[in-house]
Amino acid sequence: MPGIIKILTFQPSRTFSIFVVMFLGVTLGSGCSRTPANDLSVIRVWCHQGQEAENRAMKAIAAAFNAAHAGRGVRVDLTFFPDFQYTEKIAIAAAANDLPDAFDLDGPLVARYVNANLLLPLNAWFSAADREDFLPTILEQGTIDGQLYALGGFESAVVLYYDRDLFQQAGVEPPLPGSAWTWTEFLAACARLKQHGIEPVALHMDESADEWYTYAFSPVIWSGGGELISPDGTTIGGVLASSQNVQSLTAWQQLFSLGYAATDPVDPDPFGNGKVAMDWTGHWMAPSHVQRKGDRLGAMPLPRVGTESVAPCGSWCWGLSRESRHPELAILWLKWVTDLHHGVTPIVRANGAVPARRSAFALFPQYQETPYNVFRQQLEETARPRPRTPFYATVTQRFAAALRDIARGAPVEARLQSAEREIQRVIERRIPNPETPR
Amino acid sequence: MRAGRKSAVAPAWWFLLPALALLGVFVVWPVLRAAQWSFTNADLLSPEDSRWIGAANYSDLLSDPRFRRAFANTALFAMMVVPLQTLLAFVLALWVNRPEPAWRWLRGVFFVPVIVSMPVLAVLWTMLYQPVQGDDTGLVNAAIRWLGIPPQAWLRDPSLALPAIAFMSVWQGVGLQMMIFVAGLQGVSRELLEAARIDGANAFQRVIHVVVPAMRNTIIFVVTVTTILAFRIFVQPYLMTRGGPGNSTLSLVQSVYENTFISQDLGRACATSIIFLLLVGGLTMLQRRWTQEERG
Repeated sequence: MPGIIKILTFQPSRTFSIFVVMFLGVTLGSGCSRTPANDLSVIRVWCHQGQEAENRAMKAIAAAFNAAHAGRGVRVDLTFFPDFQYTEKIAIAAAANDLPDAFDLDGPLVARYVNANLLLPLNAWFSAADREDFLPTILEQGTIDGQLYALGGFESAVVLYYDRDLFQQAGVEPPLPGSAWTWTEFLAACARLKQHGIEPVALHMDESADEWYTYAFSPVIWSGGGELISPDGTTIGGVLASSQNVQSLTAWQQLFSLGYAATDPVDPDPFGNGKVAMDWTGHWMAPSHVQRKGDRLGAMPLPRVGTESVAPCGSWCWGLSRESRHPELAILWLKWVTDLHHGVTPIVRANGAVPARRSAFALFPQYQETPYNVFRQQLEETARPRPRTPFYATVTQRFAAALRDIARGAPVEARLQSAEREIQRVIERRIPNPETPR
Repeated sequence: MRAGRKSAVAPAWWFLLPALALLGVFVVWPVLRAAQWSFTNADLLSPEDSRWIGAANYSDLLSDPRFRRAFANTALFAMMVVPLQTLLAFVLALWVNRPEPAWRWLRGVFFVPVIVSMPVLAVLWTMLYQPVQGDDTGLVNAAIRWLGIPPQAWLRDPSLALPAIAFMSVWQGVGLQMMIFVAGLQGVSRELLEAARIDGANAFQRVIHVVVPAMRNTIIFVVTVTTILAFRIFVQPYLMTRGGPGNSTLSLVQSVYENTFISQDLGRACATSIIFLLLVGGLTMLQRRWTQEERG
């Protein structure tokens, strides 16, 4: 027995397992996975794993690239990693100086990678004319201090879908096409629906990813005239818990306190199942909603707390690693995957996202119709990328936690202040990153 | 053992080598590297640019309300789980320790939650703990309402979330400790139990005066292992509440994870895990000192 106790005492805990994995990355990663890079013309590319159709499309895009560049002896070596550990994978590879030549990354993380000096600026390869065709939001998302570091083939959108029949039953009038409700109008509509025994709106508070909350509900803050963090991305004290934000989120909290939205929903798609009259959700639900509701489906921009409606946006995009030994070849892949015919069209067909190039809309006739027309309109006019700060991961985690608590009745100002204090503490610890390239 | 014989010593080292090599690469070296990084301001994305900053990470952690909260939650969780789980496992072991097939089957039933993956159980219990919404509620609330107790927002109430997770964890883990106790019970001398019975000891007295002393080593083992496992709490609160509401279910391991992969502050993450290691190691040593094991 004592022997067993001894072994168990020293059994590596989860903590150690994390570090063991990190060290494995550091030691073995740099050793074994470098082999293809010896071949001058192989571009190592990493990509997060999406849905099956998306992965298949990405493989086909890579295969087409290889066929087209076979004459020059250039090919990509595409590797997928599971979505839920992709960001960790990138971090470990960066620590081990083993990043691939090109990799995809989630939009709000660009600032952090630029801060850590992992990405090459792309300005030299994408002229102003090249960039004109891209939606302003995708460019803004990838631009840090005036330099473009990342570019993607698709965008995203969140709208308020509604069921025309249920609206009619309750006598609720939707706003004019393309315009948004004020918060008062929104609450009044909810009240009417509730009076008629219809559950008003789904906000998907069962979503497990923290990012949903920041992504979907930052527009409430922005439309009320507030910010999540200072424009330079380094001060949050007095910004997150500002009086405007307290007001905006108090308005948002009413959806729950008045019983208009579920704080702990069980059904992931209550709108599609006909139980709820409105759905605050993204473009990814459009195909299913269109199919199930047909002509009953309406869509409007998100309700506004202040004078203007703001829409969320942003998605996965591509960057070039600063460690790449052949950026002039890696850029060929980036150009290919953001090219209208080679990259954007096939991937958008597969994943149903909003194309990030204006010229692509002509190829997708549904963008003339509800709800797709609203997606495009708000990306052109009212959408705002999430804050571009190196501390985004912390901001989104703590802000999401605050939103979850506020929805369940936490006092708005005190909860925002505690989130603010925690985030500011993390910001103040971070050393300024040395300017010297590695 | 005749340890002095050369011919036996040299092969012994060869037999030990694989284990030592693995321990060295996967345990000793990582711990040393983590200890080294914990005194630097290393950034996860560029650890080689780090600078020695002495004990600043440690002093910063000890003054950080979030870390203190994680520490307090984890300790509180262990204090709830360890006595309850050990006692319950012991009682269950006494109950199911019978040779007939029906009891063997029952032992299996109690062991099932240990085998099922924790994320699945976390989702299941989140549903069981659902608060009241309109006419809907989770099974736990339905059950206590039937008993006449008002329903609660289990995972949403800052004062109930940690106990609710502790209860679920005891339910999940008790089968393992029960099995260890069942194994330990096989070593209790039948003659001694028989003698106690003849001397007029009732069932309770036999357990206290015969079974417990005979199982002393097993009990120490179970308490030690349960304590270590309780301090490693992470998956249940992370999946069920994300550490909320407020920071009421934030655990030490979650703070290691956050420091590593969210704020990517490697130095601070390493300091957190070194504190965690010292804490668990220290506790284990204290427990063993207090409850001197009998060496057979």
